[in-house]
Amino acid sequence: MGLEQYQGDMNMCCRCSCCKFIPMQKVMGPQFSYACPSIAKYNFHAYSGGGRLNIASAMLKNGFNYTDKLLHVVYNCQLCGACQVSCNYAMDMEVLEPITEFRFKCVEDGKTSPALDKAVARLRKTGSMLEASGRRGDWAKDLNLKDATKEKVDILYHAGCLSSYDKDAQKLAKTTAQVLQKAGVNFGILGDAEMCCGSRAYQMGYRDDFLKQAEKYMALIRKTGARTLVTGCADGYHAFKVLYDKFNFKKDLEVLHTSELFARLIKEGKLKPRRKVNLAVTYHDPCRLGRLGEPYIHWQGKKIPGDKFVFDPPKPYRRGTNGVYYPPRDVIKSLPGIKFTEMTRIMEYSWCCGAGGGVNESNPEFSIWAAKERVREAIATGAEAIVSTCPWCEQNFSTAIKEMNSSLKVYDIVELVARAI
Amino acid sequence: MAILSRDVYKEFEDVVGPENITDDPALMPSYFNTEHAAIVLPGSTKEVQALVKLCNKHKLRFRAICTGWTGMFPRGIVLFDLRRMNRIIEINEKNMYAVVEPYVISAELQAECMKRGLNFCIKGAGSNCTALLRGHGHMDQTTSGDDRNHLAIEWVTPEGEIVRTGSLGSSDEWFCGDGPGPSLRAILTSAVPPGVTPGVFTKAAIKLYHWPGPTKFPVVGHSPRYTLSHIPPNMMARYYSFPSVEKMWQAEIRIGEAEIAYELMGFNAAMVAANITTCNEEDEAMFKRLSREVQGPGFFIIIAGNSADDFAYKKKVLENIVAEAGGKSLKTVEDPEIEGILLCQCIRISASIRETFRPGGAFNSIPIMGQRDLTIKWAIGAGEAKKPLIEKGLIVDDGGAFFGWGVEHGHLGKTEIFCKYDPSNTEAKKAVEQWQKEQTARAFKERYFALTMGDQTEIGPALSNYHIWWQKTVKAIDPNSVTTESGPLV
Repeated sequence: MGLEQYQGDMNMCCRCSCCKFIPMQKVMGPQFSYACPSIAKYNFHAYSGGGRLNIASAMLKNGFNYTDKLLHVVYNCQLCGACQVSCNYAMDMEVLEPITEFRFKCVEDGKTSPALDKAVARLRKTGSMLEASGRRGDWAKDLNLKDATKEKVDILYHAGCLSSYDKDAQKLAKTTAQVLQKAGVNFGILGDAEMCCGSRAYQMGYRDDFLKQAEKYMALIRKTGARTLVTGCADGYHAFKVLYDKFNFKKDLEVLHTSELFARLIKEGKLKPRRKVNLAVTYHDPCRLGRLGEPYIHWQGKKIPGDKFVFDPPKPYRRGTNGVYYPPRDVIKSLPGIKFTEMTRIMEYSWCCGAGGGVNESNPEFSIWAAKERVREAIATGAEAIVSTCPWCEQNFSTAIKEMNSSLKVYDIVELVARAI
Repeated sequence: MAILSRDVYKEFEDVVGPENITDDPALMPSYFNTEHAAIVLPGSTKEVQALVKLCNKHKLRFRAICTGWTGMFPRGIVLFDLRRMNRIIEINEKNMYAVVEPYVISAELQAECMKRGLNFCIKGAGSNCTALLRGHGHMDQTTSGDDRNHLAIEWVTPEGEIVRTGSLGSSDEWFCGDGPGPSLRAILTSAVPPGVTPGVFTKAAIKLYHWPGPTKFPVVGHSPRYTLSHIPPNMMARYYSFPSVEKMWQAEIRIGEAEIAYELMGFNAAMVAANITTCNEEDEAMFKRLSREVQGPGFFIIIAGNSADDFAYKKKVLENIVAEAGGKSLKTVEDPEIEGILLCQCIRISASIRETFRPGGAFNSIPIMGQRDLTIKWAIGAGEAKKPLIEKGLIVDDGGAFFGWGVEHGHLGKTEIFCKYDPSNTEAKKAVEQWQKEQTARAFKERYFALTMGDQTEIGPALSNYHIWWQKTVKAIDPNSVTTESGPLV
């Protein structure tokens, strides 16, 4: 079916421009009023959620006329889903799904981005999109962690590609493991056997590569017998919880983000943050933990013929209502000495860090531009540090802060928890 | 195939830079599915002026858009997308005006104004539209509407001259649209077709009004169900239904005379249902519920006091007027959660799309201006005329209702009626267009001013042959015929 199944949704776009902005009731002035990095950077309406639907709809009718400019539009989108949330405040229509399908169509038609081709080729060859040096499980050396392929564990910890291979990001995996050890959690890792979840291949438009990864990886996860998977990577979280469910790989696997597990452990008294962390912080919601992290809802139905865009059975839209917003905040607020202030754009209408949708790989300048926008917003709160719950966000913010010569610090939530216990 | 030669394209590119111009055919569907000669994104008045002069030099027609919600765009024009002109230039609290560029949306300006105890007329289309837009809106009782709110304007004429009107023509102050300096109100804010001023407004001063509410609403929850944590002090929202249209009008006019309403919006039950629900299915159920609850036509009202005493006075007067007209408060809206939703949405004007586009994807509307009691009578007829379309299942069932409101607490106001439908249903589209045509013709015949009236040559003879003067004026300011004539812009 592909893009065709969304023709009705695309025709519903009334070109109101709401997809460019955060929901109107949340607009607090001209500063930080934009939701979509792509239109904010490139300005032509084609770069907005609505503009993308207008183009895809016209091309379905009139044929696919690929130009360089069109491919620039297609690949300069983080697929962050902010347009979907803002549109769906008032409208019943899919926005992000057809935009993603359009990217799949481009890849199927061979209209790809060379940078993304390269990343996917690396995934096919090495099992990771990153230029890896060393072995995937090296980060866990000397930590004495259980090998989930050999020992039965309650929880499987998925470190993710970035936290496994990137020297700076490895601290997140290490610290997470140490915190879990302190809390007495029965967990294990896959070490060198851990795989790429495939999320970023999906975002880049390579659906088949994602499906292959998902199938392989779920077979391995099932073999371990672990009922719960925990990850500190928002991309991984979205893959396991939402995409694996969408494509029927997930079954009854419980998927938790580390922030959700930490919040649970703090509530149960198994983690006791007692040491003061004297820091003024603000929190950045990663798109794939926040608005896109809400559960996938399986639905099959048909439009009821007639005057209205209604379905039988009623169609549930993923509007960002049920994303993971409170566990990270609960954790941060539980840390002694923390002064917490919210930014203007939060939760379902959070601004993207810029790293998603393959933009990190295909257009690093745009990716960092988006991160700088967020850093400016964080600075405006008076915070000393921006806290996130995804290594991709942290990496982008670190680069942005460095380029801006800012004194703002960036932390993952696990680092703060580790300081407090 | 490119419409502009590479040399001409280069001249435009030199003005705005290569990143701010395109004639790529693949991008045109995002601009009204029209094959434009080029889309350009000017960033300043100077750039707009240079682009307009180029259009004159090459005899190319052009048109400018702000957020570009609607409009009619002939093939081959140079489209100015004013997106980069998005600055609030000034908010003058003392003289109560704000100066904005075309791509400042109303939500942005309103948020800044509310921090300062000020507000302005946001057009009914919604706060997602440009703040510079001329028209009517939910708060017309307090903030007036239409051209009353434009003060000094910076205008790039169709020949590329920069004209600064009103007080701006003789000073650097924006406080007045009519002087000391040139007043071109009749040209710049034309209310009759073509409804669009030739040239480009690059900055305009908007009149601001006192805002008795909070500096920001205490919005909680997640999209699509934002609610208020509490009703702000000295504010109240209610919906009253009445036994008859006459009784409703009697209450409306007395409320106007008492000057107690911050907002009086003649929503029908279908519009209330759309506002407070988060999807079409919920909307359908809510409409049925409200239809059982109302006793007849009604209106939505917001009372806002400057103090507890002021609020108590206004509330008491309202209750007396409503009781004397036999009005009944809708219990559903008395629920503080629903009251909060409406209070915020109908001041921040953030749910118009739920009322219009969400059900079917399209709507046609006939807005008419005039004395409220008379225009309501016309609207009742238009409502009756759409009932057969509802019965055939061609349009969304809203009970044949219309809506409207008075302006400046007065007898004059706006009355409007919608038909919402699925635009992919050709039979429905045709039927709605026919309904619109017939009912507009009836409005014209009965001497009401409807925005959907026909071409100026058709209606001009009935309006002192204004069109002859208009055409002469346009010829004088646009000798090369580079501007386009079409419907008003949102």
